[in-house]
Amino acid sequence: MTFISEILLALFLLAALRLAGASRLKHCIAVTACQGTVTALYPLFVHNWAEFSHDTNMQMILLALLTLGVKGFLLPALLVRAMHTAQVKRELEPLVSYPVSILLVVLFACGAFTLCVKYPVAPAGTSVLAAPSALIAIFTGLFIIVARKKAITQSIGFLFFENGITLFGACMKLEYGFLVEFGILLDVFVLVFVMGIAVFHISREFEHIDADRLHLLGDTMEPAKQGETAK
Amino acid sequence: MIQLLLVFIPIFSAVAVWRIKNRQNRMRMLLALTSLMHLVLSAVMTFRSEWNADFSWLQHWLYADELGKCFLFLTSLLFCMVAIHTVFWIKAEQDAQETREHPEGLLKLHIFVSGLLAFEGMMTLVILSVDFGLLWVAVEATTLVSAPLILFHRSARSLEAMWKYLLICSVGIGLALFGTMLLAAAMPPGEGDLRFTHVTGVRHLLKPVWFKASFIFILAGYGTKMGLAPFHTWLPDAHSESPGTVSALLSGALLNCSLLGIIRFYEAAPDEMKSFCANLMVALGILSLVFAAFFTVRQLDFKRLLAYSSVEHMGLLSILWSIPSIRDAAAIHMYAHSLIKMALFLTAGNLLLACGTRRTDLLGGLSGKLQRNSILFFAGVLMICGVPPSPIFATELRLIMALPPIAGAAVLILLLIIFAAMTHTVLHLICGPDKKVLPDESLSIQAEKLVWIPGVMLVLALALGMIQLHSIL
Repeated sequence: MTFISEILLALFLLAALRLAGASRLKHCIAVTACQGTVTALYPLFVHNWAEFSHDTNMQMILLALLTLGVKGFLLPALLVRAMHTAQVKRELEPLVSYPVSILLVVLFACGAFTLCVKYPVAPAGTSVLAAPSALIAIFTGLFIIVARKKAITQSIGFLFFENGITLFGACMKLEYGFLVEFGILLDVFVLVFVMGIAVFHISREFEHIDADRLHLLGDTMEPAKQGETAK
Repeated sequence: MIQLLLVFIPIFSAVAVWRIKNRQNRMRMLLALTSLMHLVLSAVMTFRSEWNADFSWLQHWLYADELGKCFLFLTSLLFCMVAIHTVFWIKAEQDAQETREHPEGLLKLHIFVSGLLAFEGMMTLVILSVDFGLLWVAVEATTLVSAPLILFHRSARSLEAMWKYLLICSVGIGLALFGTMLLAAAMPPGEGDLRFTHVTGVRHLLKPVWFKASFIFILAGYGTKMGLAPFHTWLPDAHSESPGTVSALLSGALLNCSLLGIIRFYEAAPDEMKSFCANLMVALGILSLVFAAFFTVRQLDFKRLLAYSSVEHMGLLSILWSIPSIRDAAAIHMYAHSLIKMALFLTAGNLLLACGTRRTDLLGGLSGKLQRNSILFFAGVLMICGVPPSPIFATELRLIMALPPIAGAAVLILLLIIFAAMTHTVLHLICGPDKKVLPDESLSIQAEKLVWIPGVMLVLALALGMIQLHSIL
């Protein structure tokens, strides 16, 4: 079990590096699907089955299946659909280039491991890879949100960030109870769903989905000149 | 049981709206009736405590303590007022679209009404939840159901505002989830229960380092949703691009719900860490005042002006709640801000309906054709700036006196700058010479009919102010 959980965590780490270097949206979505699958399966391999009641164990399995369905399949499918409707295939000119992005993720990894060695957060018996992997995913997700232009890539970044937080909860062996965990999953699903709809509307209204070109709003409005009328 | 009704009645109504989506009158009626029912139930919950504690299993999830009751009644009252205003305003807005040169198109009514009702349900869930995990779920849900409401005027600008709102708030709330997990890490071994009462009960056993880290993330996360600087960037865009009724709800009710999240964490802080948390809240509060003072000066959009005023008041509330000796002033400030700001946003919506623009450099002399709205708007701006007998005068005075002299002086100067900037802009808007855009004749008549609800809210705030003044004199 420990061996499998370590493999899953290694996959989680590699996903961060792959996302930082991927320009094709199809690959970014595939990486997120892979990461979502790991997020769903990891708790099953670190759960102490003998310690909990049958009902709790069944809830655990049900939640893992739901997470797998939503994060492994449904959300990636929604993102693929949004990609097709917006007719965008790749992130051509990211704000931070791909080699620099990979380098930064490596630096995040160094920082996360140093932090977790200094302040061990995970309970005894948890893999040493767990907490740093989660932190790296959180940093990488936030980084992708600010370093990429396309609205759809930002959605992918958010999903990555959220998966990192979920893994952090799993490595801490936090158990909120079925209702709250289901609520969190539902919120994430609806959020990505609404983001997908928003991407569609943005592509239709602006004829692009570059978030950095969404600058109609702001406080730097020019005062009206003579003869100018309202919008 | 009443807790369940408070959460689920608006949600059932939101679903029911889709069944009657072709009947506009019924939808409007359902909105008003649901909000009235919610207000009655909230009043019962607030004033009859035995109704609050009927099922023990329910209290594990939903319960209104004294703080919760304070927020619940306010939210329900404000929503009811806005719902009644919306019933009449929406008809006027639909008529206005037909008379405009370049109509933007409106969101379908059933989506709008359904979103409003679901928004009320989720805000109630935030207030009644007794668990930090459930609180997070509910706060995130308020973002999701309110995002489509910003898109009421289907323009490129509102789409941009919605995207920024969705992304920035979701990332912020994500940080709050991380903070909640760090709180769980701060709990003593074997104590995984994150109910408020439980965490408060074992707060002396919380691990200090993890609790500090948790509070920083919570303040950044819920602070983003609350509009505390420097995390407030979504707020002016979303408030200015939403219709008046939605801005009123976002500013008057939603920001308070996020504030409640921060207060819940602050209350769970161990005694030796209260000062750390309070210092952070004061620092962000003063920073919010600085940002608000900077951006209200020469602001050319009257709804953005109100939005920055919300940033200012969220900053003030953050400082007020962090000082235990003036907690009652914090609650009164929150009530006063919500009532006055809601009246201001509804009036701003009326002005926008008649004029078709929010730009203050294109508008002037509104008191001619929009006399009632102009009086309300000016009175509201004076009250929100703390001119007596506004209740805000008394609360700001108590705040300045409670702060150390230098911090108190800094707050006073910032408040004076905001007062000067807001009154200057609004005086030009109302009493200045006529400018390029004149209000439409027929729409002005409609806008003048929509002053009753904002008027009632200002009268309520005024009454609160008189009571306050009476108590300090």
